[in-house]
Amino acid sequence: MNESEYQALIEASWRRSLTDDEQARLDAWLRTHPEAHNEWESESALNRLLDQLPDVPVASNFTARVLRAVERESAVVARNESVFDRVKQWFSRPAPRVAWALLIAGLLGFGYHQHQTNVRGEMAKGLSVLANVAALSDPAVLQDFEAIRRLAQSAPGDDEELYALLQK
Amino acid sequence: MLRVKQGDCGAFEELVEKYKQPVMNMVYRTLPDATEAEDLAQHVFLQVFKSAHRYEVSAKFTTGLFTIARNLCLNEIRRRSRHPAQSLDETFADDDEQPIRQAEDLRTFSPPDSLLHGELEAKVEEALAELPEKQRTAILMCRGDEFSYEDIAEVLDCSVSATKSLIHRGRETLKQKLKPYLKTGAWKEK
Repeated sequence: MNESEYQALIEASWRRSLTDDEQARLDAWLRTHPEAHNEWESESALNRLLDQLPDVPVASNFTARVLRAVERESAVVARNESVFDRVKQWFSRPAPRVAWALLIAGLLGFGYHQHQTNVRGEMAKGLSVLANVAALSDPAVLQDFEAIRRLAQSAPGDDEELYALLQK
Repeated sequence: MLRVKQGDCGAFEELVEKYKQPVMNMVYRTLPDATEAEDLAQHVFLQVFKSAHRYEVSAKFTTGLFTIARNLCLNEIRRRSRHPAQSLDETFADDDEQPIRQAEDLRTFSPPDSLLHGELEAKVEEALAELPEKQRTAILMCRGDEFSYEDIAEVLDCSVSATKSLIHRGRETLKQKLKPYLKTGAWKEK
């Protein structure tokens, strides 16, 4: 047996008791490798400790409670299914079908009408902007627009300075 | 499980009877409160019933069962961290009409034995409770021949080598914490 086989036996011992054959091979390994003795001792002690952990007490009516919960759940599902079936049946009749078709057609028609109204409104806005542009005076009037605009931006002190210069 | 899928309630009852103990052991050691653990264990089986129609023969039932159990436990732990004062009973309010749990303690020890084993059990439970959730679940699922390392890896949603590493690290921590008991051989007394 080699080291990896020894490790495999340790891993096997984590899950179950070793078979007689495995135990014999392990004992043989431990005789030739006394340094591994302590490790195996603690491993097997921990295994026993974990094996001895008691089961958590379970209520004697646990299964009955689970079954009752399942019954309740099934009843809810059945109720939902029956509601769904009724709705399906209602839809399968001709009158509701026609009513739904008319409602959907009406909604679509209304939506289309609203869309057309919006498009026409946008077009009217565009036309009014164009009309304003057409109403503007001759572009030659705007020739000195930039110079006039700058005049308005000059500081008040500039005018007084210019006035003083002109008086001299 | 195939019978349950076909709507056989008797088969479901058999499943609950067979697996209630391992599920309770796992849930209780993740949420150490007997009443809440039992409520949660019931929800585990309810989930199993609800998802029975999706069951495929290729899937191992116990792996699915423990995956559901672990996920519900993790959800509950997350819920508790968000709402620390809220009881599980409030969440599963439709269980209010259920009768009070009837637990039966079948263990009978003479007083000195019960003291010794009581202390030892408490120490082991304490050491287990202090382990990270994945290490604890891996170690608990590892004991017994029910689950292969592949099954445990599937439940924990990690690789087989990572699972073995989790078990190894968890066991090393347990050995450190329980060293005095392992050395004195107190465990041999039982």
